Amino acid sequence: MRHTPRRRWAALTSVAVVGALALTACSSSSSSSSSSAAPESSAAESSAAPESSAAESPAAAECTTPTPVSLQLQWVAQAQFAGYYAAKELGYYDEQCLDVTILEGGVDIVPQTVLAQGGADFAISWVPKALASIEQGAAITNVAQVFQRSGTLQVSFADKGITTAADFKGKKIGNWGFGNEYEVFAAITKAGLDPAADVELVQQQFDMAALLNGEIDAAEAMTYNEYAQVLEAINPATGALYTPEDFNVVDYNEEGVAMYQDAIWASTERLADPAYQELTQKFVTASLQGWIHCRDNAQECADIVLAAGTKLGASHQLWQMNEVNKLIWPSPAGVGIIDAALWEQTVAVALTTKNLEGATIITGEPPAEAYTNQFAEAANAELTAAGLNTTGDAFAPIAVTLAEGGN
Amino acid sequence: MGARLRSIWPPVLIAVLALAAWQLLVVVRNIPPYLLPSPSLIAGNFFKDISLMWGAAFYTGTSALLGLMFGTFLGVLAALLAQRFIVVNNLITPLAAGLAAVPIIALTPILNNMFNITSRTPRVLVTTIIVFFPIFVNVIRGLVQVQPVQLELMRSMNASPRTVLRILRIPNAIPFFFTGMKVAAPLAVIAALVAEYFGGPQEGLGSRIASNAANTAYGRAWAYVAAAIITGLLFYVIVILLERWVAPWTSRPRPAS
Repeated sequence: MRHTPRRRWAALTSVAVVGALALTACSSSSSSSSSSAAPESSAAESSAAPESSAAESPAAAECTTPTPVSLQLQWVAQAQFAGYYAAKELGYYDEQCLDVTILEGGVDIVPQTVLAQGGADFAISWVPKALASIEQGAAITNVAQVFQRSGTLQVSFADKGITTAADFKGKKIGNWGFGNEYEVFAAITKAGLDPAADVELVQQQFDMAALLNGEIDAAEAMTYNEYAQVLEAINPATGALYTPEDFNVVDYNEEGVAMYQDAIWASTERLADPAYQELTQKFVTASLQGWIHCRDNAQECADIVLAAGTKLGASHQLWQMNEVNKLIWPSPAGVGIIDAALWEQTVAVALTTKNLEGATIITGEPPAEAYTNQFAEAANAELTAAGLNTTGDAFAPIAVTLAEGGN
Repeated sequence: MGARLRSIWPPVLIAVLALAAWQLLVVVRNIPPYLLPSPSLIAGNFFKDISLMWGAAFYTGTSALLGLMFGTFLGVLAALLAQRFIVVNNLITPLAAGLAAVPIIALTPILNNMFNITSRTPRVLVTTIIVFFPIFVNVIRGLVQVQPVQLELMRSMNASPRTVLRILRIPNAIPFFFTGMKVAAPLAVIAALVAEYFGGPQEGLGSRIASNAANTAYGRAWAYVAAAIITGLLFYVIVILLERWVAPWTSRPRPAS
């Protein structure tokens, strides 16, 4: 091949173009996913969003360019995350000068790992799963413990007579695996049974078909999701929907093995940066404000979530909103604040519960940076000063009627 | 013996170098386990929990073996029928191709709902379906692609189709059968493993890998992956040994014609 000057130029140019493309690909993938939420143009006004109905907006600062923020959810869009969708829809994030992108989760998405790897600015995750990630080197901190109670149940048909964990003996007990099984194992161990020998453990799919078909005796369910799915199914014997009287539930809070669930997690390394601290404070305040709104306006928040593209029906989302409210409210010390005793219970269960492989969730105590009440306490102060009730002591759940299939 | 040793050392050397580079990367860059576990962590987990590894591999291996046996039996049967009756051939071939295109991850939840999720059945069925196609395609090719001159000889002696099958087609098809098996055997392990992602008994390799990955215990997850690789390789080696035993003439070099 003749190395003419033109050929050499062409070769150099093509190498340079390919190299530039490769470099841009590398740099854009390593930067945080905030690139997906383009900041509004400099002509963006300050909080142009509608004010929340009952209270004044806590934030007052002028906002020229909202900061792009991404939140990684633990599952798909549903009322379990209504507070964040509401905060976005009702402008609470805008008032704090934040442009929030909500990233839906899924079966194989581990939100705390996404956070630790820089793929999101904040993540929603259950405490035990996050503790396991922390032990494997992910540096994350719990900045707001939104759910104060565990929503995990073991649901079975009433004729099986399974009312406590001790009744699991010799039965087929379903669980989801994927890190969701530890309360089940803890209850089995606490009842003096051996999970490997005394109980037949079966991994459920993320629906209740196995329970309704009679293939398993007791299924793992969340109060706000799968339990509603059985109540939305038609009872072949009566032709009407199943009623709560058709089932027994084992509540892991009552079994004494409940662990803290949904919480907002932030990156520990970035928390050393004052700018990120301020960002976290704003995000927590606006998110908790969203949750307070959803406590008092359950139907409105269920509608917001429906509009965000959830695949579950309207009555199912209202049920979910109501049940999630029951898990959050009342928050005796204030919404999002961690109770040290319950944290210790969560850590104790995580340290001592063995799964099928004989492994525990964590092998050592979590570091002190694993959680902080600093941001939640400041948020509570700010929201209370704005006239909002942050403990929910007067909260009363509403009555929800489910329709077939959750529609 | 010397020749065999000389052919083994390059891949072994490359594997050792790759593992050493991986270990060096993790140690020097101080990469935390939740991002990339080191080979030493994986090996540590593997040998510490060796009984768990063996148990999980045995469970998945049994599902794979059952699926492999059923799939092979059905594949061979279908190939024999398709070779003999052109109608059957026209019926089965597009059906088999269609089945081969259905991904495991779509098939498994459906079969889980159709059959009892607490049993092995959905997983063995998935494996059977996946194994069917390579066996069927290879065996039918072996049955059909006989040398024309040999076929003419048979016809000139007025041999019945059954005789042609017995004397000509089946011996011709044996190397093709083993080609199909060499593809199907590791595929059976993969199919059995992936089918465990979607629910059912949790003792197998697939469930364990998914569960440990979700718990951020990547060291143990990779150890199970290593066990899965070993299981797949074991199946492959067994097929090779079977081929040497049943059809030793295939491994001897052919004389130049």
